[in-house]
Amino acid sequence: MRLIFVGGAIAYRALFNWTTPSMFIGTLLVGPVFQLLFFAYLGRQLGVANDGFYIVGNAVLAASALCLFGGTMAVSNERRYSTLSNVLLSPRSRTLIFLGRALPYAGNGLLVATFTLVVGKFLLNMSVPGTAWFGLILTLAAASLSAAFFGLVLGSIGLRFRDVWLISNSMVAVMILLSGTTVPRENLPAALRAIGDFLPLTHAAAAARELAGGETLANVLPGLGLEVAIGAGYAIIAAVLLKIFEYESRRTASLDTL
Amino acid sequence: MTDYAIEAAGLRRTYRSRTGWLRPKVKEVEAVKGVSFTVAKGELFGLLGPNGAGKTTTIKMLNTLLIPTGGHARIFGKDVVAETREVRQRIGYVFGGDRGLYDRLSGLDNLRYFAELYGIPPREQKQRIGELLELVNLTGRERERVEGYSRGMRQRLHIARGLLHRPSVLFLDEPSIGVDPVAARDLRRTVADLAATGTTVLLTTHYMAEADELCDRIAVIAQGELKALGTPEELKHHADGRTVLEVEAYGLEDETFKDIKNLHGVREATLETQGAVQLLTVQSVSDVDVQPSVLARLGGIRLGRVAARQPTLEDAYVAIVAGDRS
Repeated sequence: MRLIFVGGAIAYRALFNWTTPSMFIGTLLVGPVFQLLFFAYLGRQLGVANDGFYIVGNAVLAASALCLFGGTMAVSNERRYSTLSNVLLSPRSRTLIFLGRALPYAGNGLLVATFTLVVGKFLLNMSVPGTAWFGLILTLAAASLSAAFFGLVLGSIGLRFRDVWLISNSMVAVMILLSGTTVPRENLPAALRAIGDFLPLTHAAAAARELAGGETLANVLPGLGLEVAIGAGYAIIAAVLLKIFEYESRRTASLDTL
Repeated sequence: MTDYAIEAAGLRRTYRSRTGWLRPKVKEVEAVKGVSFTVAKGELFGLLGPNGAGKTTTIKMLNTLLIPTGGHARIFGKDVVAETREVRQRIGYVFGGDRGLYDRLSGLDNLRYFAELYGIPPREQKQRIGELLELVNLTGRERERVEGYSRGMRQRLHIARGLLHRPSVLFLDEPSIGVDPVAARDLRRTVADLAATGTTVLLTTHYMAEADELCDRIAVIAQGELKALGTPEELKHHADGRTVLEVEAYGLEDETFKDIKNLHGVREATLETQGAVQLLTVQSVSDVDVQPSVLARLGGIRLGRVAARQPTLEDAYVAIVAGDRS
């Protein structure tokens, strides 16, 4: 357990580039709020959806960039510091080492998502029932965790391929388009909707909107469960990929390539 | 139970690289070509060779970071491919240079993180880290960020990291590269102390004096093959029957150097630039006095010290490696 929590926390400080106050505030707090406002005003102009749709959706989405890039940094920055060899020489379980690294990003994602929701609510005068907050926080936590494990999948690809940032950048755009956070899923073609079903955030965004609309936590639990299951799926995929790519890197001598 | 800490038998490693998209070209380089040796428990074993000889590749196969394309290797009887976890519990790896540490963390946090990676219990961690900081002379600086450390401090922190879990075998890959003479001397003392307390050390270095002073036995590797293996004294015999002439010169040109290499009786010649001075080292067969003909070729060039001496380990190394090239 120490490896997961203590190791994960130290690795977060070592590898996450955005922990300086200016980067943290600018990139993780201010940026998502402006993104929320942009989509809310665009939605008003085009008459696509109301402010509530964008406030909740963008709050859920706010966790994604941090968790995706954080998960990628959690593995890929090892190359930057040339520490990957030293980490891989550890006799301990790769699953514990790397899955533990996702947790601080998930916690950070929850903080950013909650901040974005609260600021959005006050800036655009959205009314959220007092009883909904507990469920909303739970939903944002599930969204952050599944996004962090998805980020770790991308990071594990970085064990084998040096240009993983290309994939991470594209995935952020894919999440904006397909997860239902900013584009109503009913407006998407069936094939794209199906892809969205397997992305993190999709089911959390739907559950959060229902909660904000007055639905009880018990009624949104199936959606929340789906989000957790998808996150668990990505955790398993990340663990398998880490194992495969570590072996491949040792076989093809690609550990030290930058 | 094996008597050896390290066994390498016919180790081979081929690298494949691919270039081009439309017409990809696959290039194969055989970096290590069937290297075999054994290292006894508690032995301090040197692996010497020129750049690109295959030293680091050999170490990386022994420490599980690379899978050999042929042959096999064992650490305390554990196979480096099939029993990686058992091997990793027994080994430490320190490489030279100033990378390989988390710059944003303090030295202390770097050690704490690697202590977690090796499963050192929290109570033991504090004491062990304190001991190691003392050993590598970083006590008092441990709370500073590594990004502010000098190269020597980083190298010492690397050593501390490599020793955290009390490895039975320590791989040191050019640990003194870029380190100032005083720090290098301290490093040699630390390595010697480790070997004296029973740790098996495999050391690669470019510094012959370091290898001569520290190593019980030395293997010379060149172009992926083992060229010589023995104690430093045994290796010096490769330069038997030779004498060495050293000349400090200023402005020696390539053509003249080539002429000297081709003189009767000359076996090897090297030219090393040290600031404004060029150090010409000429190995010749003992029964031919090459000094007059060398000095004749250097006529018109400003000279400094001229001295004849008996061959050292470095001369033997040059003889082994150059003999391979010729």
